[in-house]
Amino acid sequence: MAKRLLALCRQAPYGNALAREGLEAVLAAAAMDQAADLLFLGDGVFQLLDDQRAEAIEQKNLRRNLQALPIFGVETVHICERSLLERGIDAGQLQIPGAGLKLIADTSRFIAGYDSVLSF
Amino acid sequence: MTLHIVSKSPYSSSALTDCIGSFAEGDALLLIEDGVYALSGPASEKITISPVYCLEADTDARGLSIPENIQAIDDARWVSLCTEHNPIVSWFK
Amino acid sequence: MRSIQVEDREIPLDKEGFLRNLGDWSPAVAEQLARAEGIELTEDHWQVIRLLQEFYREFELSPAMRPLVKYAGQHLGADKGRSIYLMQLFPPSPAKVASKIAGLPKPTNCL
Repeated sequence: MAKRLLALCRQAPYGNALAREGLEAVLAAAAMDQAADLLFLGDGVFQLLDDQRAEAIEQKNLRRNLQALPIFGVETVHICERSLLERGIDAGQLQIPGAGLKLIADTSRFIAGYDSVLSF
Repeated sequence: MTLHIVSKSPYSSSALTDCIGSFAEGDALLLIEDGVYALSGPASEKITISPVYCLEADTDARGLSIPENIQAIDDARWVSLCTEHNPIVSWFK
Repeated sequence: MRSIQVEDREIPLDKEGFLRNLGDWSPAVAEQLARAEGIELTEDHWQVIRLLQEFYREFELSPAMRPLVKYAGQHLGADKGRSIYLMQLFPPSPAKVASKIAGLPKPTNCL
């Protein structure tokens, strides 16, 4: 049986390199047929906001990169419901074309279902 | 069940808060490196979960005392905790 | 430093032959990069090159092999969304070779 792999995405997109490194790790794994699941948690949910114009700070647009997930075979993205609530983000505003978004209320139980968890 | 490892101070990082938000009955928390500052000051009151372990070398090095409800452990016990739990989540940063 | 000469311009390359400055790309540059790979560009090649540039505009990423195959299938039809088809056009490593010719950065997850 394949190991179930989860990537926790906990950082906002541009303040440090971890958000990008996490996504690159997931894409690299997916390209090797090791699709990981993603759980956006804490400030990581800021990665999902629409209409990011990263060129204003001369960075690559992380949100655009996220949109590549379905084509890499990651078709569901999990989001911590409480983290959205704490930050006043309406789940209805969020969307990634081609991917299903799933709100997770009980993150502890969700995490326990994986063999390996990477934190970014 | 999950072993949560926190290595950053609760006074500069959301690691401990995020971890506690994802802590289930039967899980365990291990504080290492600057994570042990959770045992000092108001942050210690946030730790209402158990069991909580801390790496004694890291509390010793930082001059912290260990509250009664926290178990001080050495590297060998850390390794055995890792073998007793799955998955292991490192809440660094 | 490696470079190629295209229409009297000196175009710098990295040690694997990717453009150092993505703004240097032009169809003439692509022809020459392809020749260095032993590939003579046909309309089928150009179709994939344009597809890769479209992929990059959409996702700001150079694709690895699997997503490239999937993307080609979605945009060029099932008969072209096959690794054997891309392999014939851009041997021996289509995602990497075609990205290079299309003037994209090296795929970061191209292990």
